[in-house]
Amino acid sequence: METNLTSSAFKELAAAASGIMNPAVDDWRSRGGKVVGYFCSHVPTEVLMAAGILPFRMRGTGSTGTELSDAYFSSINCSFPRHTFNQALKGEYDFLDGLLCISSCDHVRRVYDNWKQNLPTPFIRIMSLPKKVGDPQVAWYREEIQILRDELGKHFGVEISDDRLREAIALRNQTRRLQRQLYELRKREHPPISGAETLAVMVAGSSIPAEPYNQLLRTLLDDLAQSNGSREYRARLMVVGSELDDPEYLDIIEGQGGLVVTDSICYGTRTMWVDVDETAADPVGALARYYIQERPSCPRMNGDQARRSQFLQDLIREFQVDGVIGERMLFCDFWCAEHYMNKVDLKEVGIPFLQLDREYILSGKGQLRTRIQAFLETMGR
Amino acid sequence: MHDKHNKDAIEKSLNRYKKERDWFAFLLQAAEMMDTPEGKLQVKLLRILIDSKEKVIDCSENGKPFIAAYYCTAPELFTAMDLPWFMIMETPFLAASAPYITEDLEGTEEIGLGTDLCTAIRLPIYYIETGQMPVPTAVIGLLSPCDGTTMLQQVLRHNSAWKNVPLFSPDPPYSSDERAIKYFANELRQMVRFIEEHTGHKLDIDRLREVCEESNRCYSLWQEYNELRRAVPCPHGWEIGGAQAFAVSQCFKAGDPRCTDWFRQLVECGEEKIKAGRGANDYAPERIRLLWFDIMPYGWIFEFMPWLEFEWGAILVTDMFSNFPYTLIDTSSEETMFHDLAKRNLMDVPMIRQARGTAENFSSDIVRLVKDYKIDAVIWPGHMGHKDGAATAGIMRATCRDIGVPFLHIGLDLFDRRYTSVDEVKDKVSQFFTGMGLG
Amino acid sequence: MLVGGCDVGSTTGKAVILDGTSIVSHFIVPSTTHPERTARMAMDEAIKGAGLASLTDLTYVVGTGYGRLKVPFANENVSEITCHARGAHWLNPAVRTVVDIGGQDCKVMSLDKNGKVLEFAMNDRCAAGTGRFFEAMARVLGCGLEGISSLENQGTNPATISSQCSVFAESEVVTLINEGLDLPNIVAGINNSVANRIFAMVRRVGLAKELAMTGGCSKNEGLAKALEKKLGVDVTLLPQDPQIAGAVGAALIAGEKASSS
Repeated sequence: METNLTSSAFKELAAAASGIMNPAVDDWRSRGGKVVGYFCSHVPTEVLMAAGILPFRMRGTGSTGTELSDAYFSSINCSFPRHTFNQALKGEYDFLDGLLCISSCDHVRRVYDNWKQNLPTPFIRIMSLPKKVGDPQVAWYREEIQILRDELGKHFGVEISDDRLREAIALRNQTRRLQRQLYELRKREHPPISGAETLAVMVAGSSIPAEPYNQLLRTLLDDLAQSNGSREYRARLMVVGSELDDPEYLDIIEGQGGLVVTDSICYGTRTMWVDVDETAADPVGALARYYIQERPSCPRMNGDQARRSQFLQDLIREFQVDGVIGERMLFCDFWCAEHYMNKVDLKEVGIPFLQLDREYILSGKGQLRTRIQAFLETMGR
Repeated sequence: MHDKHNKDAIEKSLNRYKKERDWFAFLLQAAEMMDTPEGKLQVKLLRILIDSKEKVIDCSENGKPFIAAYYCTAPELFTAMDLPWFMIMETPFLAASAPYITEDLEGTEEIGLGTDLCTAIRLPIYYIETGQMPVPTAVIGLLSPCDGTTMLQQVLRHNSAWKNVPLFSPDPPYSSDERAIKYFANELRQMVRFIEEHTGHKLDIDRLREVCEESNRCYSLWQEYNELRRAVPCPHGWEIGGAQAFAVSQCFKAGDPRCTDWFRQLVECGEEKIKAGRGANDYAPERIRLLWFDIMPYGWIFEFMPWLEFEWGAILVTDMFSNFPYTLIDTSSEETMFHDLAKRNLMDVPMIRQARGTAENFSSDIVRLVKDYKIDAVIWPGHMGHKDGAATAGIMRATCRDIGVPFLHIGLDLFDRRYTSVDEVKDKVSQFFTGMGLG
Repeated sequence: MLVGGCDVGSTTGKAVILDGTSIVSHFIVPSTTHPERTARMAMDEAIKGAGLASLTDLTYVVGTGYGRLKVPFANENVSEITCHARGAHWLNPAVRTVVDIGGQDCKVMSLDKNGKVLEFAMNDRCAAGTGRFFEAMARVLGCGLEGISSLENQGTNPATISSQCSVFAESEVVTLINEGLDLPNIVAGINNSVANRIFAMVRRVGLAKELAMTGGCSKNEGLAKALEKKLGVDVTLLPQDPQIAGAVGAALIAGEKASSS
């Protein structure tokens, strides 16, 4: 990733995003801390935090192949779980004390079944995430979170009191606020941080304990407060899509002059644009409402497409976006249809839209550059 | 509701649906010429099918209430409410080998949907987006078992012609315990209230009881029939009694006396053949007993299934849709009926039972079917739309290895022959049989 | 004012020199393994052909094509999507849809009345429907590219080649040959299968007349005929070699840049 940032806080964050294991996790574990991996941003990580556990979002970063996971997955499966599971089979995730899965999508949910049969991770669970966003679904998810809380408590021998839950929510919300502040800087005409750099910071957020992370973020915000970006760009872009955790992908886009100023991706605004309600008397209920109804949704959640579309348009206005790139992983059914609808919606409001298919591990850089360049030229920039 | 513009739109929306009805009317003619007990069964089935289609056409053309729904959204309820219904995803399952389908498949590419999305999803989206799908009074959406299906509901809602059609989708939990059943039962109750509100058709509990009892009769007969298919040689193959039984019991009009009558005849048919010691195909003696663990390859079924029998003596003794835990609905009360309907539609119906939740049923169903039906080979066709199934291939393979039965994973499109040609499939299957010393 | 456009593709390198509104010279060279070498060769020949002394006689040069980043003498590079569209439109202002079939990719663009790209669809992850595919087929049939292209060789009963993948399509063709199918029908089948691929891409960006083909494979008359049949519109001819459309477009953009600065 191309970067001119000299901030040491940024360097530490970028390093955490560039691999799986990082010094902060090492340090956490050496002091007896437990780590539980999780898939999907709908998992209520606050509950893990309340149990004193470090939630670690699963990635296949650094994977060079799927030779091991090919025995379980097929060529028509998404490359994200294939590479991530492959890394696990190679031992890269042996440090986990548990794995928390969720019924997110057809590909990733099968990591649970295959992992259970093939790896000795002690605590493996899968949560049932509703597919709709109504009140009965909030009630169901509230129960799911409660069950998780009980099971975690029992297995790890901790009491997850309401107070501890509230503290965890507050801490997590702090992270969200700081991340939003970071995004605020990108509203400027010359943002001091690029899309690629921001993604590195966001990915680091799910790989480092919250307190040190928040501290690093505060330092980074200080470092950036006075600087102005010097990067030349042709257009301000927004990236919309799913499990994008590789800053180099955005780096290539930005290398063509398309500055990524905002997004709606799994590691982006959807995880932090809204806070969990800290004033609610029932923290479990607050979490359920947040994850089902209040946070910006993704196409996994049915019946919410109009709200998602509006969310995109709000971001476009706030960040003065010139064009939208809709990326999706090959074989992803959710984003295939979602971008199909995004294309129509954005055309109606006159926003240029380019759809890109990709694999989890970056390949075809030349092809990507050509498409981005052509897109910018088509936008007349 | 009946101004000219609307009439044109309605006619257009029924165009393809009528073509389908005509296609089945054509098949009915052919079936009527078969003077065998099996032929008579086909005739009965086709009549039920065509009748249900005619009802939908009538409702659409004359402004009467009808809904779009699914086989796994407790169709007994629709029979009890006397509400004609159809499946938005019907075409790939029923008419994929119809001659006009290639044009439609090309159409799906033209509208710019990714070709890795299941063909059975792309086709209905294409029809909806081009105004070729009958617009019902209300839609019961399907959120199970796969991602593609949920997106169909979202695209439908997004479409300007369907935006204002009331839509309710029962939410399927991922788990499979009492808590999940109760939750889904409540979703079904909400569904009923929704249908009552938008169609004016009411659910009467006593009527529901009648329908469920009739449905139970069908299921008991189905169970009886499937016991017959355990016989060696198997009395029937792919042509009769397998997935059709599923269609008759769940797809057209669940809990209808005509269905019970069909099952009764099916059982008689099977018994006759066993008594006479006849196998599925008089001209192709049974050499391989096959479990085809998916839907039939409707896009090219006529080129493939007979070949299996004639070339290899491979009889489709059972498939994913020919099977069911035959637990009956307890009709004592409203509560027991909703509970059991929820359980059946969440955990028992084919494909939903395997693909909705965790992968256990992929394994346990294979084990049970191989044992019950003395299966010689298991084929996971590997349809391009089954993303979760594709990620379960390793588990299925390990299961088959454990019970000592050969397993083949092909990789194809059940509806679109351009994806993997029929010749390629035949080649793979032949190599598999030869390699495993079968046939 | 003289400007240049250089289109460095995987199979050929093309250079065009424009003087205001007319093409002064153009040249096509086979690509080498080094794009910068290919670019130099093509441009040197074009310069020679224009009777110029050297590159410095050109006010501005734009590079395009897959090797566009490696054109050492280019002042800037522009995507081949934009260049092919501009070039085709300049050659025939009635053009609104461009089908470019190159050595290892194929693309379709829809244009507005000014030749500006509205939408594009690209297939650059596999060889099916590209020059590579035709080369492989020509090898298998032993008939050379001419054999696949010329109209006289197209059979009236095209064989169906159903493989989506060009590697498997090759095996399919070998099987057809062994089964004794008429060569002209196999040839027509090959062109049909590519036409089908292009058809889907054209419909995605929206078909608007006139439709032109650019790139090396546009000289395949059999393919053009198959495409016409599939799309139901005629392929409009361009007054120059369609293979240079990209370089023409690049040169046009060079001209604009030179005038404005």
